[in-house]
Amino acid sequence: MDKIRVWDWPVRLGHWLLVGAFTLAWLTGDSEEWRLVHAYAGGTLIGVVLFRLVWGLIGTHHARFASFVRGPASVINYLKGLRIGKPPHTTGHNPAGAWAILSLLALGLLSGASGWLVYQDIGGDVVEELHEGLSAAMLMVVGLHVAGVIVGSLLHRENLVRAMLTGYKRGNPDEAIATPRAWAALTLIGWVAVCAWWFAR
Amino acid sequence: MKTTLAILACLFVATAQASTPASLIHDYRSQAAKQSSGFQPSAQRGATFFRQRFANSSRMPACTSCHSDKPMNSGSHAVTSKTIKPLAPAANADRFTDPEKVEKWFRRNCTEVVGRECSSAEKADFIAFLMEVR
Repeated sequence: MDKIRVWDWPVRLGHWLLVGAFTLAWLTGDSEEWRLVHAYAGGTLIGVVLFRLVWGLIGTHHARFASFVRGPASVINYLKGLRIGKPPHTTGHNPAGAWAILSLLALGLLSGASGWLVYQDIGGDVVEELHEGLSAAMLMVVGLHVAGVIVGSLLHRENLVRAMLTGYKRGNPDEAIATPRAWAALTLIGWVAVCAWWFAR
Repeated sequence: MKTTLAILACLFVATAQASTPASLIHDYRSQAAKQSSGFQPSAQRGATFFRQRFANSSRMPACTSCHSDKPMNSGSHAVTSKTIKPLAPAANADRFTDPEKVEKWFRRNCTEVVGRECSSAEKADFIAFLMEVR
């Protein structure tokens, strides 16, 4: 198998923006002095998630949900493969990773939305506690996702973190994406800036 | 089903708002008395504490940086300019009714503004002061 381009620019940039925004949000969550930064981080997170949902419909092949989201049977099959140390290799996201991605997108959206309500002082204590619970749940899924990436990288002998940076993975040449869609990454940056600004108003 | 919901709702309210400002002062006073026997909450000490410039944080040197000098009034967040509801129970009946919430916000705000966690004595004084504000 060759090294082929799999992840387009918006997928990679969006991923690392989420990593940065989520980390920043966690570090500033207990502080008033950093509350504005916390809100910008939340706005960035929501912006990336909303963009990703659209990109999952109109993006390049491996970015589309239809190309990588599979039913429970595939996930169980993949996890069984993990247990015996021989998970089936996928060029794009594996079935277990796909569910982690969907969970993270959903939790990111809910955590961000509840955080916005707290920031605007809407909903009171219930929403405040909901925001904390959703964010803690998201941290747990992030932990699972990172663990999965480490295990997957070792078992597939393929550095998945580097792949998310460079966009290149192992695969058949006919599975490669034609263009990296750098222009869409610019759209993503502009959109995220608007979301962060609007969110923290 | 309706009764179950009603009971659950009552339980929820009971756990979420089991306290009054007076009962919280009582609890903090008991805790403080363990360290220094005969401790009595003082609204005057609470007022001094409320207006003290700790200057641990440059943007939020004192409680008054966000909560306004007059706890009957709404405050304004020093960093985000968002409105903060009045601290005084006389102006905002929700204040000091949920022990967990009170502890959470003492912990957060004391750490940043005072530069350390507040003692039970300081908390008792603080609420005693706000109870008297009219």
